[in-house]
Amino acid sequence: MSDGHATTLDEAGRTTEGTVFDIGYQRYSGPREGRHRARVAVFKDGIRIALGIGRGGRAKILPWTFIGLLVGIGFILALVAGAALRIAGPEGLEQLPTHSDFYGIASIFFFVFAAVVAPDLLCSDRRHGVINLYLVRPLTGVDYVVARWSAFMVVALGVAWAPQFVLLVGRLMGHPDPGGYFSENWTDVPHILLSGAALAAYMTTLAMLVAAFTKRRAYAAVFLVGLFVISTPFTAGLSTEIEGPVGQWISMFNLSNIPVHVNDMIFGEVSGVTSEAPARELGNTLLLVWYSAWVLIPGAILVERYRRLTP
Amino acid sequence: MTPDALIQAVELEKRYGSVVALNGVSFGIHDGITGILGENGAGKSTAIKIFLGLLQPTSGRAIVLGEDASRSVEVRAKLGYMPEHDCLPTRVSAAEFLTHLAEVSGLPPERARTRAADTLRHVGLFEERYRAIGGYSTGMKQRVKLAQALVHDPRIVLLDEPTAGLDPAGREEMLDLVRKTHREFGISILFSSHLMSDVERTCDRIIVLQGGLLVQAGEVTDFTTETETVFVEVDDRADALIAELEARGITVVAEAGGLNLHGTDDSIYDEVRDALVAAGAPLRRMAPRRRALTELFARDGETLVVGGDE
Repeated sequence: MSDGHATTLDEAGRTTEGTVFDIGYQRYSGPREGRHRARVAVFKDGIRIALGIGRGGRAKILPWTFIGLLVGIGFILALVAGAALRIAGPEGLEQLPTHSDFYGIASIFFFVFAAVVAPDLLCSDRRHGVINLYLVRPLTGVDYVVARWSAFMVVALGVAWAPQFVLLVGRLMGHPDPGGYFSENWTDVPHILLSGAALAAYMTTLAMLVAAFTKRRAYAAVFLVGLFVISTPFTAGLSTEIEGPVGQWISMFNLSNIPVHVNDMIFGEVSGVTSEAPARELGNTLLLVWYSAWVLIPGAILVERYRRLTP
Repeated sequence: MTPDALIQAVELEKRYGSVVALNGVSFGIHDGITGILGENGAGKSTAIKIFLGLLQPTSGRAIVLGEDASRSVEVRAKLGYMPEHDCLPTRVSAAEFLTHLAEVSGLPPERARTRAADTLRHVGLFEERYRAIGGYSTGMKQRVKLAQALVHDPRIVLLDEPTAGLDPAGREEMLDLVRKTHREFGISILFSSHLMSDVERTCDRIIVLQGGLLVQAGEVTDFTTETETVFVEVDDRADALIAELEARGITVVAEAGGLNLHGTDDSIYDEVRDALVAAGAPLRRMAPRRRALTELFARDGETLVVGGDE
């Protein structure tokens, strides 16, 4: 064989010829989709990182463990609801946790999920210097961080909604009249979508903000878990000891409860975890403003941090 | 301003408080391989970051492919950049990483995948493309760094110390790739280095920065023109030849491998011929000597002396 040309005999003894052409380096003359394509690419990559897609088995363990856990909680609640319906009828269902209670019950798992998974979308790019390669392409630091935030937000929405819909399907399937049940409770669907979005926006923004200030995913995860795990009993205990407005404001700093108050407003019911919270006495308007501040201010800091970022 | 320059620095100045990184430098980068040479802190990386739009100049302008580098984000789609320091993820494969970066440079996903495979083949990593980058050797990682700078087929590539950390063989391979990138792929290169030998062997033109100032710019051949020295190498009887040459009034400087003879005109070749015959020395090589860049930029204490004579 020379110059890529070869002649061989096939099984029937016939002569066959073939040539391999080295076409060399080819200039690219196809479309260039600019900044829009760059944003979409970073967004898609963020989703893949969050779910461990295209990575080794170890990268899949954490996200899918938490997704399994949260969907599992929804599934167990659905099974219990189905059993209660069959044993005690619709009256039995009223005694069980509803959609409005779900985020209160499972919020700590959502926060830990965000704490351990979201930092991977920002920390590793800065730790390994990959951010240098993003910022020299048709993409600004703000484009990058907004795309990453959006990617985790989409994953968080899925994680927040999936168990609620498992619970909804369980309740429908267990009811003797699923059509009747749905026509009576269809408003649960927009309530689930809205409250899930509120929870996802809150945990995504806080987790991303902390991740923006460290190159180590583990540091961000430990800080975030510590923040939620410590703030919850600390503020709850202190706010019940100190009465009046001071106690109510201390209760406002219970970080786990902030999106659950919004959840209560959306469903028009008070969930178990917030029923005793003194912050409720400050009124829905203030609770909504407080929630918004905890999403918008960290979001603005996050954007500003990446606007100024240079390799 | 030079109209055909790919990159033009116009009185470019960058200050960090009282520290002057670039002090009003003006130069153009044209088609070909241009070396930007200087010690650490000379302003090389600052200039490159300004060209890439990552830093805003304090004053002056950086015009890249006809657009103001500090204002145009889109122009970066036509630039490639290979940083000096680590910039690679460890858990993904080279194929996946390059496909992703090609998309970030604006290529549609299908085209990005094809370009990633082609580019990895050109840098010699086609067989290894599905392995996680974390398991690559230093030389392979440098090739991935070069590949990511080329994957979107840029008009010009800015290489920041591309041979840093490589052993001699790896360094040679990288310099070959750099030359190939221009000569075969047609992509212009701005090559930053503090290693003059790399620049001399690779670049068509050089720009020398020192302390934020432009101290020299021009064709490499202009700096390495022939000297008034003839280099002679013999197989034997070198001592007899030296004696014959000195007897003819020629100044001889012996160095490893041969003799440097100082002569102002072509008559020295006749003198060497006669001396070789008289000494009975078998001639292996005789040629006018070219200067190496290292001789031009010889250190004088802490100062880089440019353009000094021998």
